[in-house]
Amino acid sequence: MVDEPSVARQTSRVHGIGGKPLIVAGILLGIVAIAGVFAIALNLVSQQGARPKPGSPAPDFTLALYPGYRAGLPEQIRLSDLRGQVVVMNFWASWCVECYKEADALEAVYRKYKDRGVIFLGIDYLDTEAPALAYLKQYDVTYPNGLDVQQRIARAYRITGVPETFFIDRNGVVREVIIAPLTEAQLIAKIEALLAE
Amino acid sequence: MLRFAVHTLRLISLLFVVVCLVGRPIIAQVPAPDEATYRIAKQLNCPTCAGRNLADCPTETCAQWKAEIKAQLDMGKSAQEVLDYFQARFGPTVLQEPPKTGVTAPLWAAPVGAALVFLLAAGAVMLRAARHNPLTDVAAADPAEDPFVSALEEEVRRNG
Repeated sequence: MVDEPSVARQTSRVHGIGGKPLIVAGILLGIVAIAGVFAIALNLVSQQGARPKPGSPAPDFTLALYPGYRAGLPEQIRLSDLRGQVVVMNFWASWCVECYKEADALEAVYRKYKDRGVIFLGIDYLDTEAPALAYLKQYDVTYPNGLDVQQRIARAYRITGVPETFFIDRNGVVREVIIAPLTEAQLIAKIEALLAE
Repeated sequence: MLRFAVHTLRLISLLFVVVCLVGRPIIAQVPAPDEATYRIAKQLNCPTCAGRNLADCPTETCAQWKAEIKAQLDMGKSAQEVLDYFQARFGPTVLQEPPKTGVTAPLWAAPVGAALVFLLAAGAVMLRAARHNPLTDVAAADPAEDPFVSALEEEVRRNG
């Protein structure tokens, strides 16, 4: 009797199925390459960080203000330079329908508190200049506003859309995030709470 | 029944021809989009809806961006200058084809690398298979030295 495994081994050899290790190596290399690409993608995502939670320090940034919307501040401002004041930071865009609903309230409350240690910052998100300036003019906005170039601030604060408003206390700590249009009453209540501290 | 089917088919064919003939001038009457703006918009992404081309997006944001492209072209800027403006303002992700440098370079290189690895592996397997051609291997091999052939011959002799 012929030993069957031996015959099978010999048949394999005769038919030249010796390329298996190479195929396996190719597949492994492919898996390694795909894993590498995923690792790079994951690294990019993790670099963006998490949304600053209430109680965490507000990520610092610089913002170039639109001409005519500087409210006495320099052309470029840094958030950390505003330490000691309550900051109401509002992300908006001229194409954002919900932003229209809070535009009047933001401006009215800014005028009410601007001399009481409260500063409003408008962060214009994914906007083109002409419609943005038209929007500011339409709602008679006077508080500092500027374009978020390359969405760096939006990424640092991990916004999910517009409008979003961050309330930052005098120590530069994020105290509250509101993802909806705000009313005058809501703005006043939140600012008063921060001023009372 | 067959006659009815033939008539129906004729009617559908006739309708098709009429639609083709009448439809063409109607389509032609629609004002053509600004070609230059469209060509640039095709190279940009909608900023608010993931994966959508700016040229084909009907949102308010995209309408504003297309107006901005047209305004810049009217000012005498070239297509590349307009694209550079959008990239500087909104980042490289705004481009349909991000630059092949920096962190995106591995993503561009990965498919080429994978194809090369595949070709090398396939080439090696084919080369190996060609070297170990079963027909030539069997012909060239000395039957006396091949344990498989020896075992087979032994089996034949025994049962013989």
